[in-house]
Amino acid sequence: MTSTQVAAPAVAAPADHARAPRRSLMGWWRDPWRKPRLLEAFTWGYLLWSLAPVAIAVLFSFNAGKSRVSWQGFSFRWYWGDPNLSVWHDPSLHTALRYTLFLGVIVTAVTVPLGVAFALGLDRWRGRLPSFWNFQMLLSFVVPEIVLGIAVFFLVTNVGPLRNTIGTTSQVLGLVTFQLSYPVIIVRARLLTIGKEYEEAAQDLGASPLGALRRVLLPLLYPAIFASTVLVFADVIDDFVIVRYLSSTAATEPVAVKIYNTARGAPTPALNALATCLLAASLLAVTVGYLAYRFVSRGEGEKAGIDSFASQI
Amino acid sequence: MARPGGRSKALWPTLALPGVAWLFVLFLIPLYVVLAIAFGTLDPIFRSPVPVWNPLQWNFSQAQYVLTHIVGANGFYGPPILRTAEFVVIASALCLLIAYPVAYYVARYGGKRRGLLLVLLIAPFWISYMMRMLAWVNLLQTDGWVNKALSLGGLFPVDINWLNGRPLTVLFGLVYGYVPYMILPLYAGLDRIQPSLLEAARDLGASKWQTFRRVTLPMSKPAIIAGLLIVSLPMVGDYFTNDLLSGSPNTAMFGNLINNAISSPETTAQGATFVILMFVVLLAPMLYYVRSTRAEEGT
Amino acid sequence: MTEEPPVSRRSGLSRRSFLQRGAAAAVALPGLTALLDACSSASSSGSTSSALQIATPATPVKWPIYSGNAPIASGLEPEMNATLNLYNYVDYIDPNALKSFEKKYAKYNVKVSVTTYESTDEALAKIRSGTIPLDIELGLSYDQIGKMVQGRLIQPLNHSYIPNHANVWDAFTNPFYDVGWQYTVPYTVYTTGIAWRDDKVSTNIPALPNPYSVLWDTQYARQVSVLDDARTCMGMVLLKNGLDINTHSTKDLALVLQQLKALNAATQPKVNVTDYQDVPTGVVSVCQAWSGDAINMISYMPTGQSPKVLRYWFPPDGKGEVDNDLMVILKSSKAPVMAHLFVNHMLDYNVALKNFGAIGYQPPQTRLNVADLVSSGFIPANLSTAIVQPEWFNVGYRILELPPAVDAEWQAVWQEFKAGAH
Repeated sequence: MTSTQVAAPAVAAPADHARAPRRSLMGWWRDPWRKPRLLEAFTWGYLLWSLAPVAIAVLFSFNAGKSRVSWQGFSFRWYWGDPNLSVWHDPSLHTALRYTLFLGVIVTAVTVPLGVAFALGLDRWRGRLPSFWNFQMLLSFVVPEIVLGIAVFFLVTNVGPLRNTIGTTSQVLGLVTFQLSYPVIIVRARLLTIGKEYEEAAQDLGASPLGALRRVLLPLLYPAIFASTVLVFADVIDDFVIVRYLSSTAATEPVAVKIYNTARGAPTPALNALATCLLAASLLAVTVGYLAYRFVSRGEGEKAGIDSFASQI
Repeated sequence: MARPGGRSKALWPTLALPGVAWLFVLFLIPLYVVLAIAFGTLDPIFRSPVPVWNPLQWNFSQAQYVLTHIVGANGFYGPPILRTAEFVVIASALCLLIAYPVAYYVARYGGKRRGLLLVLLIAPFWISYMMRMLAWVNLLQTDGWVNKALSLGGLFPVDINWLNGRPLTVLFGLVYGYVPYMILPLYAGLDRIQPSLLEAARDLGASKWQTFRRVTLPMSKPAIIAGLLIVSLPMVGDYFTNDLLSGSPNTAMFGNLINNAISSPETTAQGATFVILMFVVLLAPMLYYVRSTRAEEGT
Repeated sequence: MTEEPPVSRRSGLSRRSFLQRGAAAAVALPGLTALLDACSSASSSGSTSSALQIATPATPVKWPIYSGNAPIASGLEPEMNATLNLYNYVDYIDPNALKSFEKKYAKYNVKVSVTTYESTDEALAKIRSGTIPLDIELGLSYDQIGKMVQGRLIQPLNHSYIPNHANVWDAFTNPFYDVGWQYTVPYTVYTTGIAWRDDKVSTNIPALPNPYSVLWDTQYARQVSVLDDARTCMGMVLLKNGLDINTHSTKDLALVLQQLKALNAATQPKVNVTDYQDVPTGVVSVCQAWSGDAINMISYMPTGQSPKVLRYWFPPDGKGEVDNDLMVILKSSKAPVMAHLFVNHMLDYNVALKNFGAIGYQPPQTRLNVADLVSSGFIPANLSTAIVQPEWFNVGYRILELPPAVDAEWQAVWQEFKAGAH
């Protein structure tokens, strides 16, 4: 990119806007080195369209009145002020929030180790059988969530011993299945770029395969592992379809289901407040994950930027 | 170069085994259970489904009922399925039209602001989908900001009710909800195109548009296809966007058919048939995606 | 980054590997089948007798008490630290009623929580499909009572824990659907009619020859909703045509389907149970509504707008859909004594009256003088038609249970309507 910009001044005058005589519109349009104002405007316009509604929703969670559209003053009423309806006081709301975070932690804690091990195994194990299971894993990635959710729902409600697991246990089972492919795909992509030299060198120096794995390969994989942890956590706390089919009582309904149930009627800004709390929690999780990622990739210099984080996904 | 030979070979299958077992029990078996229910029998009193495990005893009456009511004189399941196809195609195309320029800008011209832009682009991933839809439900109410803006602060009377069953609103919701998923693959793909190739094209005399058309676009084709698949496949199974933004049977999608059928014990077996139908219909694009991913991995 | 490897033709399934895998699956299948068979045995879908007993006002039914499902013994102490899980419609019980119950039995440290359902069909499916820990279901009507009793889903009541039953109308001591009130107590009574906002609807609905037909009026396109309940909504169409709302006739059902399709084409109605919020906030202008919804609408009017614009119509002679909702205790309840006490609590006059105020649905309490409701200001005059008169229960049409085969035909029509057929 920089090389292009350095080369520009060597080209004739039209590149120097400040001192050139006024050009026609077509001249400006045709200039290959002009700044991409249209694209830039479009991009910022997109970002505004994408994020402003959420910002407005967050704003109205601080509304003093009951309306979600007309501003009636600033207050924390819906967070802890209102004795009946605020997130702090209404048990159905804060239970949902706690449960969502709980589910996120548990599912991530199961999925990431399982997925990383799976990725390592699939990558290094050769043959038809792992190829088949790799195929199944990728299939579980592209299958629509409703198909998987209903399939697991049928499994749990029609196979005797599993019937009592409806609720948290089956939600965890379903969510792990749905999320499993993320760490596998991310870690495998990273493994492709790492190559086998480091492990082979370690083994040449006398390490066992397991030792080489633990002390050489895994540390190299930390960036991918962290990226997948953050991704899985963010995805789980947002999940709707699977947790709804596999929920039992109201105590096992996470925030997404709560919003769905309540938004179709006439909710109060307490719902906005609940969503904002969840937003804050996931923001915290992502920030922690990103900082951990940077900490862990600090040896790799330029690669530890946000764009490499993004490209892991 | 001494290698520990046979002993290392057991490590990798052992690592993969928990994942394999998990997928078998919680992915493959449930799919079989869906078959067993779709082709099972019904309880005489509740008419709830009774799964039949042995394929030789499968009974196809429920499945037949569903399939014969898709097209033809009795075909009332057809329109929602057709409508879903329309919505998905249009919404995916719109997502592409919106996401491509944004991804192109960030990849090529991001410069110093690239980190910030990426953070803002990734933001929707950790904002709950429901919250994003809730935000629009608030704005689209009859006294919401959209109508206020359209009426220019009260100059014109605008009495449009956006949430009373308009296909346009559902389409808008789908595009808004899914466009972030398309931006990242497009960004990754466009980022991989080396600027030197574009410079080379320019040096050879191509104009900006020609460069775009003949170099950038073909090189980003795999990313475009990946992005389209990542966006359209989940969209086919979406039912909650319609429920939140419309709630009317006139905009019912394939996912609503499944969800309605599963909600009542009498039609659960039909719901299972729909699930199988959706899986079969999407099999080709899913397989295509899997194959191209495996090709990239070299497996 | 080097160029990407060429797409390998060998990836994906070749015919040979497909056949090999198919053969492997065929070998594994019987084993899998046997395993699943063994796992899914007795407890799952054991249905009982194959004939469903239907109760009608002409043929009242006294349900048997099954051997595995005896009522609890009398004089037991309530369970300690119980969490009572109520299964209910949204906004269909006063939160203060729950709090007052928790306070009354605070020494047993009881907690009450509410899980909601959207339709009674969904509720039945969830109760039957899994061991979700629910104790009490409210809001169901007697069109499912046979299934629930014969499917062993609810437990018979021990009357010694429910002395407040003496407060309810006499008609509920030996209702036709549960002679001797062995399994149920009444929760609310209601009628089903049309509700609207006077300032948004220009038609004089009560003056129409067939008021139900206003829902098909194209001038209210996209401002209409109907209730998300197959029997209620289809029953209205049958009433509109002067037919039996519990019809078994295929011809009648074909007519219903045709008119529901016409409804979709004419006004594209929403199908939900949130009409009590949608009408006041202007999302819909006219809808099919339960009488309690109409009264409940008062508390959802936006600030600055008067509830005097709300209206409700029901046939003045009482010849419309008249029903009552029930409370039942589920067999799977882990705290049956506490559940009985809760049912008793809801039948207390003061609790029931406060509940009326909170949810808008009328309790069948003998102390409640319906004639005084308007004059005492409890119900505004513009909604006096939403008050349920006891004598309507003699002439009104009740939604009865249907034999499974007929029910299937009704469900088929309903699914077609909900899929947007027009």
